[in-house]
Amino acid sequence: MTDMAERNAQKPVVTLTDARKSFGDNQVLKGISLEVCTGDVLAIIGPSGGGKSTLLRCLTLLDRLDGGSLSYGSLAVCAEGASGAAVYGGKEVIKEAKTRFGLVFQDFNLFPHYTVLKNVADPLVSVLKMPKEEADVRGRELLAKMGLDGKEDMVPCELSGGQQQRVAIARALAMNPQVLYFDEPTSALDPELTREVLRVIRELAAEHMTMVIVTHEMAFARDVADKLIFMDGGAVVERGRASQVIESPQHERTRAFLSGYLSD
Amino acid sequence: MAPAAFSREGGCGLGFDVMMGLLGEGLLLTTQIFFVTLIGSLPLGVLVALARMSRFKPLALFAKFYISILRGTPLMLQLMAIMFGPYYLFGLQMGPDWKFWACDIGFILNYAAYFGEIYRSGIQSIPRGQYEAAEVLGYTRTQTFMKIVLPQVIKRILPAMGNEIITLVKDTSLAFVLGIAEMFSQAKALAAREVSMIPYALAALIYWVFCLVIEFILNRVEKRMDYYHD
Repeated sequence: MTDMAERNAQKPVVTLTDARKSFGDNQVLKGISLEVCTGDVLAIIGPSGGGKSTLLRCLTLLDRLDGGSLSYGSLAVCAEGASGAAVYGGKEVIKEAKTRFGLVFQDFNLFPHYTVLKNVADPLVSVLKMPKEEADVRGRELLAKMGLDGKEDMVPCELSGGQQQRVAIARALAMNPQVLYFDEPTSALDPELTREVLRVIRELAAEHMTMVIVTHEMAFARDVADKLIFMDGGAVVERGRASQVIESPQHERTRAFLSGYLSD
Repeated sequence: MAPAAFSREGGCGLGFDVMMGLLGEGLLLTTQIFFVTLIGSLPLGVLVALARMSRFKPLALFAKFYISILRGTPLMLQLMAIMFGPYYLFGLQMGPDWKFWACDIGFILNYAAYFGEIYRSGIQSIPRGQYEAAEVLGYTRTQTFMKIVLPQVIKRILPAMGNEIITLVKDTSLAFVLGIAEMFSQAKALAAREVSMIPYALAALIYWVFCLVIEFILNRVEKRMDYYHD
């Protein structure tokens, strides 16, 4: 899988440089840089409160950086100004940037009043202005791919957590993003439901979907990700090939963190 | 028709049909106040809620003050203030129709305050994740509100709205202080003339039936939105 990804033309999809972010006096991101290229699967691991979620929120424009720069391909979303502060592009830039990525939330955030199909198809109609029939066809395709055929007309509350998360993945994929972000996609699920969601993500990885995954599933991160970042205290402590970092961490803090997972 | 036990004078009272006729005339005005109030205050409440949640502090503060005054003083006094304010404050002689205007304005302003707070409670109860999911997908702010937030808000606030709308049915009787011959005024006049409680009892029955109809409609709407929960 890694070899396949390397054989692909490696074009940067996301480039983040020296990202800084504070909430009041608390500096949550202390100069994070990362690059994700087409076909990459990047796992971000680390203890809670280490800045992973904030990083993802800044990458998905739910929060804004204080300093640093971010671009999607050649589209500069924000650049470092003369004073070192991040200067964001105008409305059109932000709007364009939002078409480049998708986000799968920890707690799904499906729209409860929409049917499963409408959850996936409505953004295509409302945002991408696709004709409804076409959107429905695409929605059905993706739901089938997620193993959810027959569930189109149900509402989210009738599905299990694992099924809901797969709808959320279908919803994000429908928009045809260049990179898909996952924010602890299985943290709200029990082990059995976790497995079915991880299987879907594995399948996407096999299709060379570019993904950034914040996760606490170490075995999964080792198997699926090519690159891995270990974050703690708002900084990248260690980065490298996923299997390498997980199997033979170089840094003491990484070792301490991983030992909590791999002992069981 | 009216049982003698309720009427001290016995048989010399008005007939049931005459009473019902007069109460019916009152009901027409009651119904009119009810619908005019809803038509005015349901949308005005949206503005109150938006102002109250505004990030522009003076506007939010003004809305807070508005709500506080309108919820914190009796509606009856508010009606009187609007009725007589133009004369006592500005020396304006208002026409004979002014009482109807004063009544509608008073009810609309008062109910908008209550509806505004119900809307706000509904809007603020929608989890932030709904906004974030919509934002990441690229919905505009208007789309997010109209398509994602509002339908969920309506479901959540329906019981509270039902309460308020039912209260309004009975609050219309406060229009009697302005000399408007709505149903309660008619019942009061009839009761005085007949020296009988029957007109009050009949009015009560009619108010109740009015509310039953509203309850029926509200139940239907609630059922229609019962296809999901969150």
